[in-house]
Amino acid sequence: MTSAPPATPPTVRTARPAALAVGLLALLAAGVASVAVGARAVPVGEMWGAVADFDPLNGDHLVVRDIRLPRTVLGIAVGAALAVGGALIQTLSRNPLAEPGILGVTHGAGFALTVGAALGLAGSAVSQLGLGVAGSVLATALVYAVGRHSTLRLLLAGVAFSAVLMGVSLGIRLTSPDTLDKYRFWAVGSLAGREQADLTVPLVAIGVAFVGALVIARSLNAVALGETVAHTLGANVARVRTVTLVLITVLAGAATAVAGPILFVGLIVPHLLRRLTSGSVPWLVGLSAVVGPILMLVADTIARVLLHTGEVPVAIVTAFLGGPMLIWVVRRYGAGSL
Amino acid sequence: MSLLRSRLTQGAAAAAVLALTVGLSACGAAGEEQTEGPTRQFTADNGTVEIPQNPKRVVATGYAVPSLIEADAPLVGVSSWERGEPMMSDEDLTTYKELPQVAGETAAETNYDAIAEQNPDLIVIGVPKPIFAEIDAERLESIAPVVAVGPDVPSAWREVSRKQADAAGALERFDEVKSEYDAKAEKLKNKYADALSGLKLAHVGGYGEVENGNFQREFDGSWGTNIAGDIGAKYYGEVEEKGKGSRAVSEYPSLEELPSAMREADAITYTVNADGSVPQSVEYVMDSNLWKNLPAVKKDMTFPIKYTEAATYGQAQQTLDALDETFAPLLNK
Repeated sequence: MTSAPPATPPTVRTARPAALAVGLLALLAAGVASVAVGARAVPVGEMWGAVADFDPLNGDHLVVRDIRLPRTVLGIAVGAALAVGGALIQTLSRNPLAEPGILGVTHGAGFALTVGAALGLAGSAVSQLGLGVAGSVLATALVYAVGRHSTLRLLLAGVAFSAVLMGVSLGIRLTSPDTLDKYRFWAVGSLAGREQADLTVPLVAIGVAFVGALVIARSLNAVALGETVAHTLGANVARVRTVTLVLITVLAGAATAVAGPILFVGLIVPHLLRRLTSGSVPWLVGLSAVVGPILMLVADTIARVLLHTGEVPVAIVTAFLGGPMLIWVVRRYGAGSL
Repeated sequence: MSLLRSRLTQGAAAAAVLALTVGLSACGAAGEEQTEGPTRQFTADNGTVEIPQNPKRVVATGYAVPSLIEADAPLVGVSSWERGEPMMSDEDLTTYKELPQVAGETAAETNYDAIAEQNPDLIVIGVPKPIFAEIDAERLESIAPVVAVGPDVPSAWREVSRKQADAAGALERFDEVKSEYDAKAEKLKNKYADALSGLKLAHVGGYGEVENGNFQREFDGSWGTNIAGDIGAKYYGEVEEKGKGSRAVSEYPSLEELPSAMREADAITYTVNADGSVPQSVEYVMDSNLWKNLPAVKKDMTFPIKYTEAATYGQAQQTLDALDETFAPLLNK
C-alpha cells in the first residue's frame, strides 16, 4: 500500500520563505565580511571604491578586486556546490551520513592529482584543476558502473573504491617526496591561493548543475519516499537517479577540484535544514545553496584571523565548526533528524 | 600543512627519521667490532664524543652527505639526498650515485642491512640539534661513534660543513674548496661594490604556502640571501616575530601584505629552481597585480637566483656564478 506525501503544515509554508529571506541577508553580511577582513586593513571607502571606481594603481583596490572578491565568489560557489551536493546524495541514498565524497569524488580527484604530480603534470593551478575534475568524473563513473543497480550497492562501491584510491595514492606519495609536496597544496582544502586561476569553467559548471538540481528536485521528492512509492507516483527512478548522480559529480567534482577536500559542509548543511524544509527537496536544495555559502564564508573569514601568525586552511575551520554543529543538531532534534 | 615548510626542516626531518629508524633497527648490532687506532675527543651537538682520529669508514646522513662527498671523506654509505643532486658537480654526483645508499629520504626506505654491511667506524648525522634529540642515539652508537652536526640558522652551513669535514678527517680538501669560494666571493664583491652599494634589496623565497595565500620573505642570513650577502648584497628589514631556525631570518606574510613588505625595495631577488624555472610559490606572487605594481618591478629591478639551497662551499660557488649572471645588468644601470 502506498500513501501520498504528507501535506505541508501552514507554519512550515510561511517559515521557508522567511528562512530564505533571512538566509540571503546573512549571506550578504557574510559576503561583506569576507571582502572586508584580511591581513591588510582596507578602509570601507576604499572597499567601495574598488568596486565602483577601480584604480589599478591603488593597493587597496587591488587587494579587494584581485584577492578578496574572487575568493568570496569562490567561497559562495564551493559552499553552494558542496551543500547542494550533500542534499542530493542524502536524499537519493536516504542515508543521513552520506556526503558528496562518498561516491569517490574526493579520493578520485586526490588520486588523479597524485598520479599527475608523479608524472610531472601537476605543475600549474590549471593542470591541477583539470586533473581534479578528471579524477572526480572517472572515479564516480567507475563507482556508478559497479553499483548502478541499487543505491546501497552504489554507496558501498563508493566507499570501497575510495579506500583503494586512497591507499594507492598514499603509497605513491610515500615513495615520492616531490609528489607529496605538490599534493600537499591541494590536499589541505583552502580557498586561498586560487584567486589567480581561471575559474570560469568550474563556476559555470556549478551554476548549471545547481539549476539542474532545482529542476530534478521535484522528482527527487518522490524518490525520497522509496522506489516503490516513486514508481507509483509515476517517477522514472532510474533516470532520476542517473541525472542526480551526474549533478552530484559535477557539483562536488568542481568544488573539490578548485578548493581541495572540504568536509562537513556537504554533511552538516542538509541536516541543519531538514526539519525546516519538512521533506520538500526543492526547498532543501534552494536553502542549502544559501546556507552552504554562509558556512563557507564564515569559516573562511575566521580562517584568516584565527592565528596572528597566518591563515588556517578553511577545511580545518569547517571541521571545527561542522563537528559541534552536527552534535548540536543531534542533541536538539534527536537521532530522528538524521 | 607546513610540515615541509623550510628546507632546513625538510632535510632535518628526513635525516632524523632516517637516523631514528637506523637506531631502532640497530639493536642487534651491539658489540660489533669497533675500529681500532688512535682516537680523539670531538665536541658535537650530542656532546663530547670519542671518535677515530683518522676514520676510514664513514656513514653520512642529511646535510653531511653533500659536504662530506665534496670534502673527499672516506665514505662507505650515505642517505639519499635528492634535493642536493642538481647542485652536485659531475664528479660528486658520480660518487654519490656509486656509494651504497644506506637509506632513502624517509624512514620507510631505511635499509639497516646495508648500513651494517658497511661496518662504519664513524656516523655523521647532519640534522639540527632539536631533531637529533628525537633519535635513539644509544642504539646508533652501538654500531659506531655518532656525531651530530646540524645547522641551526640557514647561514650556519659554513661552520657546520667545516665541522662535519673535521670529524671525518677531511679538512684538507674542505679548506681548498673554501679558499676557492672565498676568492670568488671577494672578486664578485669588488665587481659589484658600486652596483650594490646602498641598494635596498628584498627577497621572495621558494617556500611560500600558496594554499595559505602567503609568500616567503627572506632577510639577511636566510637561504636565498646569505650567499648574496657575501658579495655585498644587503637585504633590508628583519623578521617581525623571530622564530627558531630559518624562522629567525624569514617570514610568511599574506600576499595582501606584499606592497607594504616590499614597497621600499630598490631591487627584488627571487628564488628559482636549478633549471631556471619559477617555483609555484614564487609564480603565485609574480602573477599578482600587487607584484606588478611594486616600484622595483616597474623599474625592472628583479633578479632570479638559482642554487639558493647551497649548503657547501662547492655548491655555493655555483650560487656565486648564478648571482654574477643575474646581477650583471646592474653594472650597466
